[in-house]
Amino acid sequence: MLRFMLVCLCLIFVAPVAHAQSLQSLLQDNADAVANPSRSTVDSIVSALAAAPVEGSPRFLEDWRDKAIWVRLSDGIFFSAAEDGDGLVLTDLDTGAQTTVAEDDGFDQIRPNAGVRRVINAALVQFQLSDADVTRRIAALDAISRDPAADQLVPLRQSIPGEPDASILARKVQLERQLTARFGDSMQERVAAINFLSGDLSVEVRGVISQILTTRQFVGISIPEGTNVAQIMEIGDDLDEAEAYQLLVDADLAPATVTPDDIVATLTAQIEDGQVAGVDVSTLGTDAARIAAYDMLVTRGDAAPFIAPEDRASALDAHTFYLAYTEVNVDITTAAEDAEAAIAMQLNVGKTLDLTLDALSLASIYFLAAIGLAITFGVMGVINMAHGEFIMMGAYTGYVVQQIVPDYTLSIIIALPMAFGVTFAAGVAMERLVIRHLYHRPLETLLATFGIAIVLQQLAKNIFGTQARPLTSPDWLAGAWVVNDVVQISTIRIAIFALALLFLCLILYILKRTRLGLEVRAVTQNPGMAASMGINPDRINMLTFGLGSGIAGIAGVAIGLYAKVTSEMGADYIVQSFMTVVVGGVGNVWGTLAGASLIGFTQKGIEFFNPSNTLAAQTYMILFVILFIQFRPKGIVALKGRAAGD
Amino acid sequence: MRKSFIAQNPSVLWFLAGLAIFTLGVTFMSEAAGVDMISTSFLKTLGKTLCLCLVAIAMDVVWGYCGILSLGHFAFFGIGGYAIGMWLMYARTEGIVATSLDSAALPPTPQEITDAIGSQIFGVVGSSDFPALWAFSHSLPLQLLAVVLAPGLLALVFGWLAFRSRVTGVYLSILTQAMTLALSLYFFQNDTGLRGNNGLSGLQNIPGLEARGQAVVSLWFFWASALALGMGYVLFAYVVSGKFGSVIRAIRDNEARVRFLGYHVEHYKLFIFTLTAMVAGVAGALYYPQAGIINPAEIAPIASIYLAVWVAIGGRGRLYGAVIGAALVSLMSSWFTGGSAPNINLGFYEIKWTDWWLVLLGVSFVLVTLYFPKGVGGIFDALVRKTAVERQGDYGPDKGAWRNDEGKPS
Repeated sequence: MLRFMLVCLCLIFVAPVAHAQSLQSLLQDNADAVANPSRSTVDSIVSALAAAPVEGSPRFLEDWRDKAIWVRLSDGIFFSAAEDGDGLVLTDLDTGAQTTVAEDDGFDQIRPNAGVRRVINAALVQFQLSDADVTRRIAALDAISRDPAADQLVPLRQSIPGEPDASILARKVQLERQLTARFGDSMQERVAAINFLSGDLSVEVRGVISQILTTRQFVGISIPEGTNVAQIMEIGDDLDEAEAYQLLVDADLAPATVTPDDIVATLTAQIEDGQVAGVDVSTLGTDAARIAAYDMLVTRGDAAPFIAPEDRASALDAHTFYLAYTEVNVDITTAAEDAEAAIAMQLNVGKTLDLTLDALSLASIYFLAAIGLAITFGVMGVINMAHGEFIMMGAYTGYVVQQIVPDYTLSIIIALPMAFGVTFAAGVAMERLVIRHLYHRPLETLLATFGIAIVLQQLAKNIFGTQARPLTSPDWLAGAWVVNDVVQISTIRIAIFALALLFLCLILYILKRTRLGLEVRAVTQNPGMAASMGINPDRINMLTFGLGSGIAGIAGVAIGLYAKVTSEMGADYIVQSFMTVVVGGVGNVWGTLAGASLIGFTQKGIEFFNPSNTLAAQTYMILFVILFIQFRPKGIVALKGRAAGD
Repeated sequence: MRKSFIAQNPSVLWFLAGLAIFTLGVTFMSEAAGVDMISTSFLKTLGKTLCLCLVAIAMDVVWGYCGILSLGHFAFFGIGGYAIGMWLMYARTEGIVATSLDSAALPPTPQEITDAIGSQIFGVVGSSDFPALWAFSHSLPLQLLAVVLAPGLLALVFGWLAFRSRVTGVYLSILTQAMTLALSLYFFQNDTGLRGNNGLSGLQNIPGLEARGQAVVSLWFFWASALALGMGYVLFAYVVSGKFGSVIRAIRDNEARVRFLGYHVEHYKLFIFTLTAMVAGVAGALYYPQAGIINPAEIAPIASIYLAVWVAIGGRGRLYGAVIGAALVSLMSSWFTGGSAPNINLGFYEIKWTDWWLVLLGVSFVLVTLYFPKGVGGIFDALVRKTAVERQGDYGPDKGAWRNDEGKPS
């Protein structure tokens, strides 16, 4: 098949091309068409160039398109030329030799119009498909997939056998199948191509399939023979009555209805001396009065009558409303429908997977943001409203480190412990200076820490300004892990997930395997008893507060990498962090993990049903949390017995 | 013998007298009286401050007396504002639409008027239909009812859910904060039908009073705010005095003990929560016509926290404290952020108060919490020299006031 077409192509152009050795002489054979290109002549030149493998024809086509071809009027020789003041720099089309002329008198610029340029562009794609330069080949493929057309099929097929690069070859084959599915010659060929594409999730393929399945709305007494009907539309189910009737009107199958706007227009046109049909205009302030006046105009014959409901119903009954495929062949549309169903199945699986990944990454962010809060809340019963500001401090630490250390990888490695150190110190200072004095006044701790939060926020504004600061991630974190066109997740989110996992393990280790952890757990469960066992609750409180704040700092670096660093970034996470702690249950790492997962997955789940409205997802998530507290006031993982405190 | 209400609460008389003198003084100095010592915009600021004082005493009752640190009362305030704002917008737009439709050839039908108002109000969010929330917006009495009922109902439902599951202390604060956040996010959505983040605007133009001029209308609102504050003060002073007040304060100090004594703690809390929410709604309904615009950012959680800050600085557990705190902080805030406070030049750095006011507020707030838990209002205690025994322990529903001392290693 392919070879046959090639031979045909060659045969057509063999005669005129036979004696054409160089580009110039080939152009001279069509000199008139080159000099005065028009939509009707351009094809012959493009075909001639395509048929004869002469050196420099792609370059010529580009110059031609860009209006850089000039003709010397004395002998009709074509040059590629660039304007240079009044003169021209001429380039010989065959040899590439450059000459400069001082005056452009005696030369004429060739200016193809937009239609011709489009044809040239299409022809260029054919040349570029076999270009030696890889980027040009890829550009050509991009051009085809952007704007697929039937005439690209043959050159694309021709370029496949000689393709050296494996990935480009695969892309070419894929694109060839897509083009065949839409523009193939025979039904079998197209069905085979469609079946080949079935289950492919890429946007291009989905576009091809939906192109094949394009439908149009028809209405008629009966369905004409040979129509490829997609769907017969039932009035009431697929189509409401007004729409259906409007279709009839548009198809000139029924008289138009009289709309309220028509009534107003007709009445306004008929006003004479403040009256319409003998009725005072001032009384026409209700719909009923207007209709009555209009009726009078109808009886006088000055207005189109209303459509009686029974006429309307019988007109609707008499006609069939249906959607028909623009593709007439039933086999092809059936194959395409099957392919679409298979793709839809795959798409749903992919979307579910994608959603799960999204939810997982959201959950890990919430976990990172909340775990510090959960530790301090659990151990000390203290709500730290400045926790969000510690997150912000961590992010700004990362920003400052990046200003000093230009290497992004190195700066992140330095920033993580730096952020921990800075916020650990801030946390310990805050505990020593403020919270220690308010231990048995938890509500006032909440407010005092809020006071500190506004101070920190305003200080950050004063120091760093109100505009967002970038925290640039290193190149190896910048990309995304792409499974297919539906399932993909940015590397940074994977990194945050890994970080959250790391911290989960680290905190579990600290709490379960170290002396500090033992003491922390003891103070969490019963501070009085812990104190009588020789544990110094003061020291433990200070250290846990520092630890919780330090983790917030690290969370800040992680969050800053994918979101912008602003002085208000902490406030965006604080309520979600509280929710996580409250839902998860106080003083338990697993509880926080469960809380973060529940909130992350719930929020993404709600977003799934209403993807355009993330605000609504957050609203309903919070309502869900409020209701959840009704059933488990102590959270998912509640401390039992004496430890619960009351 | 049982003392009379006034004798029990001498502060009520002092407060009402002070408020009356203040109101009269401002009235005679206002633009409307022809003296022009107080500009209309400052008169509005004073009127708004009175509304803030009203919501602050509501907050004081719920927090300082009942021990519920609600971070949602400013949301109730905002709901009140939205309720009155809906009528103001509807009625004003109706007037505008009526004049523009007069030029049409045919007199407009009621449907046409409604449609025109709808597209005028909701055009900004790309809609023209009236959402269900606006069903009563044509009627002033119904919207006035909504000013009280909408926050009251929300508080009732939320309070019932929260109190019956015995959520207390910081948990309850977080939960009320979550409610406030959910509410403000809900109001932010265009689908809600409250014009999304555009909010309601042009509320200072009262339909039917355009001819009077802003100077006079502002004075009327100032009077209304003063009246509401006075009535609110008496109402709350009455509520927190007597036997009922004792139970309320007992719940603050030890909820479990009050429950064991046979009181329905939940009912008391619910009553206080709902009543204060209603008063907050009234305060909001008086505030926003003076402010002229309301948008969802006004009811963000941060606003409710600031409300708690005012009460804490003014002094909890005393109504005049809340008034002092709200007036002091909100007036100082507008003085500092308005740019009228002189900058301090330190030579190497110039302190601009527009940048540093929040730092000052935060630091002073922390200091007040740490060292003056009675707040500014506590100064009056020193003046009056109470003969009562100094209270042991702390305010607030604490986990056993002596826990800290018992836990001390020694």
